[in-house]
Amino acid sequence: MKKYFPSFLLMFFLTAAVSVAQTADISPQRKQAIDSLALEKVKDLSKYISIIGSKETQFSEANRVMDRAEELFAPAAEMGVSSVNTRDVAYYKVRRYFERLMALNYDRVNISWYDIHYISDLERQPDGRYVGVVTVYQRFEGTSQEAGLNYRDTTKKDITIYVERKSTQVAGRTIEFWDVMLGDIRVTETSA
Amino acid sequence: MRKITLLILLIISSIQLTPGQGLYSPGSPADDGKFAASTKQVNQFFRRFNAEESQDGKKRYYDTDTQYRDRDLRKSFINILFDNETSGIARELKVAFTSDVIAEDNPQFLNFHGQNWFAEVNTVFTYRGKKENVTLFMKLQPEGLGYEWVIDKVSFDPFKAYFDKDTGTKKQFLHPLSHELDFMNLRKAFQENPKPESYTATDYEPDYLTLFLYEIKRGNFKFENVTDLKFHFFQIDNWYFELAQFNRPGFNTGWLISNLVKLNEGDREAVLKYIYDQK
Repeated sequence: MKKYFPSFLLMFFLTAAVSVAQTADISPQRKQAIDSLALEKVKDLSKYISIIGSKETQFSEANRVMDRAEELFAPAAEMGVSSVNTRDVAYYKVRRYFERLMALNYDRVNISWYDIHYISDLERQPDGRYVGVVTVYQRFEGTSQEAGLNYRDTTKKDITIYVERKSTQVAGRTIEFWDVMLGDIRVTETSA
Repeated sequence: MRKITLLILLIISSIQLTPGQGLYSPGSPADDGKFAASTKQVNQFFRRFNAEESQDGKKRYYDTDTQYRDRDLRKSFINILFDNETSGIARELKVAFTSDVIAEDNPQFLNFHGQNWFAEVNTVFTYRGKKENVTLFMKLQPEGLGYEWVIDKVSFDPFKAYFDKDTGTKKQFLHPLSHELDFMNLRKAFQENPKPESYTATDYEPDYLTLFLYEIKRGNFKFENVTDLKFHFFQIDNWYFELAQFNRPGFNTGWLISNLVKLNEGDREAVLKYIYDQK
């Protein structure tokens, strides 16, 4: 929570500077600030996935990181995973997806992320929250020495973000800020 | 001064000790341009089509930006928004479409919240114990404080077989003086008759969506999967195009125009009828 405090402050000042009353449209400046916060969460998720997948991570540490990773998500978020060979999508709860990642049968796993992302516009839902999608690309490399197996793939991850205006009390004053939670993630294996 | 030095050292050391390899970590694999070129989201298709983002996709243009909806930028974007590998859309057709879309006197833009575009979602359901393909046609509608996708129509082959009504002399009917006999012939019409639809009006249209929802509520349909997705656009005057996703090696990937049709009078209804495949 502490690490996001500067972002909250930034968001607060931007909010105050732009308008007191909340309007349906998010200004470009505010959108940019929300994008930054969303990207921070996605970066955290990417880091956590790399740690959970790594064979050098202790079991207890992986579980701790899974807890942290789960905190990034809105309740009931799911991962929908498909490969190049099948059009079927396998659906996993976020925790289950992490557990499967941790249990992969490789001696060595390296998960890295391409230096590119794409953030959609934010659209308002019927309940007033905003929703967007952040796209990132992940490279997975798994090595199994016994079987002499080297597996490598690149997946596109389309990550739902929910953006909500919240308020908190600080020293008797109500401070409003924009909060970002991650939602469902569609994982598609690419042909790249 | 010592405190500041200590703080700087602390910050540097914490950066170096950051575990894992997250997004934009040192050593992240570099995109060779393929992911940047790919139209990664339908949202990006809209932005590129309307020239509402920079060529490298890193900057979103708003109406206060000079490059916003720039004609030359649009032209270069639209050129890369066609599937150039498999769809076989004639070059002349693409040129005519592009020139209509970016016409100086009447440029046309796509509108996410506008009418005249919808999604075709191919799904698999288990229907009475057997896996079956079901096509859902979805549209965006305003609701509450925002928008939502809703199911507008459904296409399911077994339903169509339910409503196979004969016409003319072969058709079963209730004769025109049935009313004089208190419609006693309804007994023959409904008992052990596989075609009760024969007794409906000429303009009767079965509502497959209602039937589909009823069957779901009865527990006869169980959702399995989404297998494919495409979009149909009728937002550009006198043109129809289809948007599909291409996951393949190379630079011509992502959400691209996979079909393009110049519409003459009456064509729109014919294309819609073909897409909806209701009969």
